[in-house]
Amino acid sequence: MAADIEELKKKVLDYMAKKSKFKPKMYFKDLCKADESAKMREIKKAASALVQEEKVEYWSSGSTTLYSLKGASSKETDTFEHD
Amino acid sequence: MIDTSMYKDDPGYNIQEKLDIPYDPTLADREYNPQKPMAGRLTDQGPPHYEQFFPEVIKKNYGKWLTHEFVQSGVIKYTSETGDLMWVVRCATPRLITTNLLREIGEIADKFCEGVCRWTTRNSLEYHVTDEGTLKDLIEFLNNFKHPGGSYKLPIGGTGAGITNIVHTQGWIHCHTPATDASGMVKAVMDDMFEYWNSHKLPAKLRISMACCLNMCGAVHCSDIALLGIHRKPPFVEDDRITGVCEIPLAIAACPTAAIKPAKVTLPNGKEVKTVRVNEPRCMFCGNCYTMCPAMPLADEEGDGVAILAGGKISNRISTPTFSKLIVPYIPNELPRFESVCKIVRNIVEAYSKGANKYERLGDWAARVGWERFFEQCQLPFTEKSIDDYRLAYDTYHTTTQFKWSSHTDKLMKEAGY
Amino acid sequence: MADLKKHDTPLLDELKKGPFPSFVDDLETRGKGGVQCCYDLLGQLELSYVHKETHWKHGGIVGVFGYGGGVIGRYSDAPEQFPTIAHFHTLRVNQPASKFYNSKFLNKLCDMWDHRGSGVTNFHGSTGDMILIGTSTDELEPTFYDLSHQFDMDLGGSGSNLRTPACCMGKARCEYSCLDTQAICYDLTMTYQDELHRPAFPYKFKFKVSGCPNDCVAAIARSCTSIIGTWRDNIRIDQKAVQAYVGGEIPPNAGAFSDRDWGAFDLQKEVIDLCPSGCMYMDGNDLKIDDRECTRCMHCINVMPSALRTGVDCGATILNGAKAPILEGAQMSTLIIPFIKMEYPYEEFKDYVDLMWDWWMEEGKNRERLGELIQRQGLAHYIVDILGREPIPQHVKEPRSNPYPFWKEEEVPGGWKRNLADFRARHLA
Ligand code: HEM
Ligand code: HEM
Ligand code: HEM
Ligand code: SF4
Ligand code: SF4
Ligand code: SF4
Ligand code: SF4
Repeated sequence: MAADIEELKKKVLDYMAKKSKFKPKMYFKDLCKADESAKMREIKKAASALVQEEKVEYWSSGSTTLYSLKGASSKETDTFEHD
Repeated sequence: MIDTSMYKDDPGYNIQEKLDIPYDPTLADREYNPQKPMAGRLTDQGPPHYEQFFPEVIKKNYGKWLTHEFVQSGVIKYTSETGDLMWVVRCATPRLITTNLLREIGEIADKFCEGVCRWTTRNSLEYHVTDEGTLKDLIEFLNNFKHPGGSYKLPIGGTGAGITNIVHTQGWIHCHTPATDASGMVKAVMDDMFEYWNSHKLPAKLRISMACCLNMCGAVHCSDIALLGIHRKPPFVEDDRITGVCEIPLAIAACPTAAIKPAKVTLPNGKEVKTVRVNEPRCMFCGNCYTMCPAMPLADEEGDGVAILAGGKISNRISTPTFSKLIVPYIPNELPRFESVCKIVRNIVEAYSKGANKYERLGDWAARVGWERFFEQCQLPFTEKSIDDYRLAYDTYHTTTQFKWSSHTDKLMKEAGY
Repeated sequence: MADLKKHDTPLLDELKKGPFPSFVDDLETRGKGGVQCCYDLLGQLELSYVHKETHWKHGGIVGVFGYGGGVIGRYSDAPEQFPTIAHFHTLRVNQPASKFYNSKFLNKLCDMWDHRGSGVTNFHGSTGDMILIGTSTDELEPTFYDLSHQFDMDLGGSGSNLRTPACCMGKARCEYSCLDTQAICYDLTMTYQDELHRPAFPYKFKFKVSGCPNDCVAAIARSCTSIIGTWRDNIRIDQKAVQAYVGGEIPPNAGAFSDRDWGAFDLQKEVIDLCPSGCMYMDGNDLKIDDRECTRCMHCINVMPSALRTGVDCGATILNGAKAPILEGAQMSTLIIPFIKMEYPYEEFKDYVDLMWDWWMEEGKNRERLGELIQRQGLAHYIVDILGREPIPQHVKEPRSNPYPFWKEEEVPGGWKRNLADFRARHLA
């Protein structure tokens, strides 16, 4: 069922806070573990909303995407695909 | 007719007002602060609503067109149920254009067509006019509109049973994986085929497409004639740099034939590094590894060149959409004018023009007369490279006793002494 | 301003000859006007013509804040010779659906791109975006700021995300169009902005919309979801106009064959006999179509656009999974939904998109296109289990010719757990 976006945002933030201690930068697949019953696209929407609210930082090479809590990481380069 | 309630969520929205304000070159420098990238940022607003750019005649007749006619190559006359008439003039562009030409395109639109123009999927430019006098003036103008070297800036044509503009990719002008150049080859081939660009004398429409490597950004695999850049040497592996610039597992995973294996080597300086090795006989020269890993370049002066595929189509008309088939496995890069590519394209087009029935697309003609006859009539050698050994290869095996006698069997018979 | 330096380009100069528009002349004219990077671009291209190898380095990651796509990094590997193109990145800009523009827009865009970049463009890239070729890393954010504030434009897709949707010009100009292609394209673009800008898919995904089976945007060859207009009722026939074609008053196929003498128009030979389903016939002087047998190939309508029109009960046929040959070989889109009404706000269609994307995101491997996932897990599985649709003969060209379907345990009465003792009680070992 479509989860409530505010609830999902909270779950994502909580999960990131917990995880952030030993892994500041997370793949999208990691974020999905914040709520295994939610659809991946809903988690994506929640994560994007958090980026808009500047609570979460977002970096993507086009094929690899990393999320981190605001201030938790510096820039990083990764893979090389951009077509 | 047009649902304006969707305009950027605001029915009163009018982009023209914004466009009336001259470009402010210092706005971003004043307002954008790299320390606070989100301040005042506009994201996810999408493109402007298309209807904002329609000419009046299209706004009025949207969905009401009754019929059309190509009054000459490159000129389409439309009739609406409202009684309105509209003429469209189609002209070629090389796709790669500068703001100089773009401004001129805008000036022509201002002069003849309420300032409006449109691009087609195949990179042609279209102007819309509503009276025959303006049409005549526009055509005359375009016929005299030339570059310093003498080529037309916007030549009229590209409709009906002729050759439309070549869709193509970047080539050496802007990409890191090309095996050939795109813009130059397109220019050479279209120069040679120009008589078919601005006439309706072929048996059906003929689409040529061009992509400069196997990635096929232009998706050429369903064209009547496809020109494709190919590599023929496996990639280098730069052991001393690979760990720094590339995620090795991604490069390994990228290879469609699983030709890349992890390896450890000792560099001349004694340092042991993780790297990869390519099982060269398995390499299909696709360049996927290089896309993932910059330490695996594969461009090579002698290895690279052009393959030609033919007989594909997209439209569902009469026969179903079909893939193009490999008919010339390799032609070296002949710069700057790709003479052999041009010659082969001409042979194919002329044989097709002579042999095909009205309405018959190139691939349908080849299938009707038989591919053995196709090779014969286009004067192309058949090589083992045209026999599929990739996935789904069996689909192309010839599982019947029905075939035609051709120069190929004649040769076999002679060799057998029959 | 440093001195303008033109490189010698004897090979490229050959590409100024001939009638087709010369990109060399265009770039050179701009160079002459004081834009060094156009001279450098030609200089480097000339070098590629000599070496027969590209002189662009493999990308490098550049972008604008908060987006994972829309910018393609590009660096010259001969920056000392060609300093003004040392960085020469590309921005993909989402085009307005079906690519109409006006001069106000073009002029202002030129002002912007002359200021922020090289003034070199592609109208358009193969996906449909406007492509602005050539600027430095520092100018990327300001260019995006200008585009979004002074033009209300946005970047297009690149990377593992939704690529910019594209459509034919449909009802704007074409009487064949069974769909409001632009409206659909615009709505999908706006609905899926997050998917377009922030990659989270296994690989790229494309929507393309053609108004009829002529498929002018090549949706069936190059989109993961091809939306192609069609109709359920009858082809509309104007018998008087048919006779006008027969009598030679209207040229066949809208005059598309005008430069060659193909003889007088022959309705039987050119239309009735070429109909792939053989569903047309003459009844006296009347042309008749057995519409239930018609496969809507468009041939007869293309030949006689003034006499025949598509039906009026219109919708779309949805096909899935086209892709260029890398990796699993080329695929054309395969028929999934024979007919779906496409009316704003397209809820039925979007429900299907949700099912499709949820599956692909869960199951797709890195760099696996939807078409490849369908092959790997099976078309039947996709249609029946994922989309919850009924299988119909239209889903295949012909039924399979091997008898090896996988039966599921629940499909067999009694399941697979059996009592061996009972079996052996009936059969001696
Ligand atoms: C009313 C009649 C037609 C008009 C106005 C028309 C117009 C166009 C235009 C403007 C394009 C460029 C595509 C775009 O930018 O939207 C195009 C491409 C195309 N047209 Fe048509 N067309 C018509 C009839 C046909 C017919 C009769 C066929 C097939 C028999 C056809 C097949 C195609 C195909 C396959 C493409 C592009 C294919 C590719 O990219 O390779 N069209 N057409
Ligand atoms: C594995 C497959 C592919 C790879 C690795 C790839 C890679 C690339 C790269 C590196 C560029 C940048 C060229 C530049 O510097 O401007 C590019 C451009 C582009 N690609 Fe692809 N590509 C692939 C397949 C495709 C396909 C199948 C399509 C479309 C059907 C496509 C559409 C485009 C477009 C529209 C551009 C912009 C430039 C142009 O139109 O030529 N790509 N691609
Ligand atoms: C798992 C796969 C298969 C097994 C275990 C199998 C086994 C057998 C056996 C045991 C026989 C002999 C039957 C007899 O006593 O006459 C037989 C006969 C035959 N099999 Fe198969 N078979 C298999 C697949 C196939 C396939 C795929 C084909 C053809 C496409 C095929 C074609 C034949 C033919 C033509 C005969 C002779 C039938 C006749 O007597 O006219 N078999 N098979
Ligand atoms: S076809 Fe290949 S070489 Fe050409 S632009 Fe695309 S990725 Fe680059
Ligand atoms: S070029 Fe293609 S086939 Fe060859 S090693 Fe690289 S990825 Fe594999
Ligand atoms: S796809 Fe059909 S509706 Fe769209 S422009 Fe082509 S012929 Fe017209
Ligand atoms: S659309 Fe095609 S199948 Fe249908 S009647 Fe016309 S020619 Fe026959």
